[in-house]
Amino acid sequence: MTRRIVALLAGAMLAGGTRVQAQDAGATARDQARDTSVPVTTSATRTPLAPGRVRDVAAPAVVAPPPVRFGIDSLRPSPAALRTIALDERMRRDLGVDVGDTVRVSATPGDAAGERVVVSALLARRADPSEIARAEYRARLHLDQLQRLVGYGDRVDRIAVEAGTGDARERVLRAVNDVAFGFRAHRSEEIAVRTGATFQVVNRFHRAIGGITIVASAIFLLCILLLKVDERRRDVAALRLMGVSRRTIVRSVVLEAAMVALVGSLAGVAFGWVVAQLVNWHFRGVHRTPLAFAIVTPTTATFACLLSIVLGIGAGWLAARRLVGRPPLTLLGR
Amino acid sequence: MPVRLALLALLRHPARTLLAILGVAVSAALLLDMVMLATGMRENFRDFLLLRGYQLRVAPRGTLPFDSEATLDSARALVRTVRAVPGVRAVSPVLGAQSQALMGGDSVVTGFVLGLEPDVQGDYELVRGADLVVPDAAAIANTDAVGTLVANAAWLARTRRAPGDTVRLAVGYDPQLRTVLGERRFVVAGEARFHYVATAQPALALPLAVLQAMGGAERRDRVSLLMVKAADGADADAIVQAIQRAAPRTSAISLAGATAQVEQRLAYFKQLALVLGSISLAVGVLLVTTLVTISVNERQGEIAVLRAIGIARASVVMQVFLEGLAIAAVGSLLGLGLGLVTGEWLEGILRDFPGMPPTFRFFVFQPRDAGFSLVLLTLAGVVSGLFPAFRAASLPIATTLRREAVA
Repeated sequence: MTRRIVALLAGAMLAGGTRVQAQDAGATARDQARDTSVPVTTSATRTPLAPGRVRDVAAPAVVAPPPVRFGIDSLRPSPAALRTIALDERMRRDLGVDVGDTVRVSATPGDAAGERVVVSALLARRADPSEIARAEYRARLHLDQLQRLVGYGDRVDRIAVEAGTGDARERVLRAVNDVAFGFRAHRSEEIAVRTGATFQVVNRFHRAIGGITIVASAIFLLCILLLKVDERRRDVAALRLMGVSRRTIVRSVVLEAAMVALVGSLAGVAFGWVVAQLVNWHFRGVHRTPLAFAIVTPTTATFACLLSIVLGIGAGWLAARRLVGRPPLTLLGR
Repeated sequence: MPVRLALLALLRHPARTLLAILGVAVSAALLLDMVMLATGMRENFRDFLLLRGYQLRVAPRGTLPFDSEATLDSARALVRTVRAVPGVRAVSPVLGAQSQALMGGDSVVTGFVLGLEPDVQGDYELVRGADLVVPDAAAIANTDAVGTLVANAAWLARTRRAPGDTVRLAVGYDPQLRTVLGERRFVVAGEARFHYVATAQPALALPLAVLQAMGGAERRDRVSLLMVKAADGADADAIVQAIQRAAPRTSAISLAGATAQVEQRLAYFKQLALVLGSISLAVGVLLVTTLVTISVNERQGEIAVLRAIGIARASVVMQVFLEGLAIAAVGSLLGLGLGLVTGEWLEGILRDFPGMPPTFRFFVFQPRDAGFSLVLLTLAGVVSGLFPAFRAASLPIATTLRREAVA
C-alpha cells in the first residue's frame, strides 16, 4: 500500500508539471532522515519512482510503532548477510553495545522470532528540546524491516516528499491533495508550526517568568541606587554650600548613577554568562543532550544593560531631586 | 523598646522601606509560584489519575498508556486474568483509535475515539443526554445496525451534531480501494466530558465491542490499556507485581510509578522551579541584607550613643535584627497574595499546552506550600538580619562617637 501511495504521489507531482526538488514534509521526518547515516529509512521506496523528475521520495515512515525490544545476542562480528540497524549512542554507555555488534530486535520481550541485526551506526542525540522529556533510546531500522517486525503491514505514518519551491510546490501540494484519499499533504512550515506549539507555550511561559524577574530586579536596582545616592547627602550639602548649582549636582549624581548601573550590568552580564555555562554543563550532563539550556545573546545582554541604565538614571534623578530640594544644613544633620 | 526602635528606623525612610517590601514581595511571589509548580504537579497528577478511583494502569510492556500505537491482544482473556488477581475490584478495558465522522462529500471530522465498557468506564462523565448502550452480539456483528455514541463538546461542535442526531463513522481508510473502513451509523446518545483528553480535541466514546468490530481483524479482541481499581485496603504494589507475573507482556503501572514517570517527563519544570525559587530567595536575602546594612551604617552614631547610655548589646542586635525580619515578613505576606495572582496568570499560559486535559493544573495552591514558602522567607529574613546586626553589635563605641562628632 505504501508503494502505491508513493507512486500516487509521484504521479501527482508529474501531473503538476513541475520539477520536483528537495522539499520535505515535516521537521520530524526531515530530521529522522538526516540522522540516519546508514540506509535505513529511505531505501525502501526511492528507486521505482520516475527518475529525473522525482529525485527523492523518502519514507522515514513508521514513527510511533509498538516498542521494539533489543537483546544483546553476541558481541562478536556478524556475518555480512545480516541487516543493519542504527542505535542510540547512549546505548553504548548504558548497555555496552557498539558498532559491529549483533543484537536481536523483537516486538515483544523474549520473542524467539526476533531478528538478528548488526549495529552499523550510532545515533547522536540532537539539540532537540522535545527529546529532553523522553528518556527512551532511539533506533533506526530499514522501513520494511520495522513494518515486518511490528506487524505494521505495508503502512507508514508519513511520507516526506522533495518538491520545488514557491508556486511549483503549491502546484504539487494541490495535485497531491486532489488525488489523495485517506491522507493529506502539508507544507513543512505548517507541520513545524503544529509540532512547535509546545515550545511556543514554553516560550511564553519563559517570557512571563522573565517579566516577573525583571520587575523584581528593577525594584532591587531602584532600591540600591536610591541608597547609593542617599549616601552622598553630605557631599551634596558641601557642594551646595560651596555654591555649586542644583542643576550641576543633579547632573553629576545622575551621571554617577548611570555609571554604577552600567558597570553593574556589565558585571551582571559576565556573571550571567558564567551561570549559563554552569547551567548548561549541569543539564547537559543530566539529560545527555547537546542542547543549550541557557544562552546569553547580544540582544539579551543589550536589553539588560539598557534597562539597568534607564532604571539607574531614573533612580539617580529621583534621589538627586530629593537631595537638592532639602537645605544643605539639614543634609549635614544640623 | 527594640521593636519600637526598629519600626521607627523603618518609618524614617518610607520610600526606601516600601521599595524593599515590594522587592521582597515580588521575590516571595515568585518563590510561592515555583513551590506550587514543583509540588503541585505531582499532587495534581495523582488526583487526576484517581478521578474515577482507578489506581492502576496496565499497558503494553514498556509503554505508558497511549504512549504508542501498541495494543494488547487477547483482551478478554487478559481482563479475566487481571480480574482474578487478588485485591482487584474492577477492570476497565480501553481501546483508543482515530475515527472519521463522514459529513457528506469529501468532508470528514477526525476525532479520538475510545472503546469502553460503560458500566466500568473511568474516562468520561456524562454532561447531558443518555449513556452508551452496549448492543448484543448480533447487533455488533451487523454493520447496518445503528449504535450509540457519546461525544465531547468539541466533537459535537465540529460535526454540528447534538444528542439525538445520527452520524456515520469510520475508523480508517483504505487508499487502495478508496473507501473508508468500518463505516457504521450511530445515534449521539449524550454529551460527555472526557477527563484525559484536551478540551479542544474532538473525542467520542463507543462501546468497546463495537469499536473492536469496526476495526476488523486488526483490532479484534485488542485493547490499548486496562484501568484497574484495587479493593479498599489492598496493597497496590502487590497487585502490580501479581499482574506482571500473570501477564508478562504487560506493564502494570501503579499511581506512584505513573507519577514518577510523568515527573521524569516534566522534570524540566521542576528543575526550573528549583533554580528560580533559589534565585528569588537569594535576591530577597540580598535586598534585605543590603538595606538593613546601609541603614545600620547610616545610624552608626545613634547606635554608639545607645550603647554609650547603657543600652545592652543584645537590645541593639535585636533592634537591627527585627528591622530585617519586619521587611521580610510584610513583604512575604504581600508576596503570597501576589503569588496566587501570578500563579493563575502563569497557569493560563501553560493551559495552552497542546493535548493538555482540562482537569490538569500546573500551579496548585496548597496551604502546605504557602507555609513552606513562609518558613523559607522567614529564615531568609533571619539570615538577612544577621550580618547587619553583627556589625551594629561590634561597633567600637568611643571611636564611632568621635568620628561622628568630627563629621
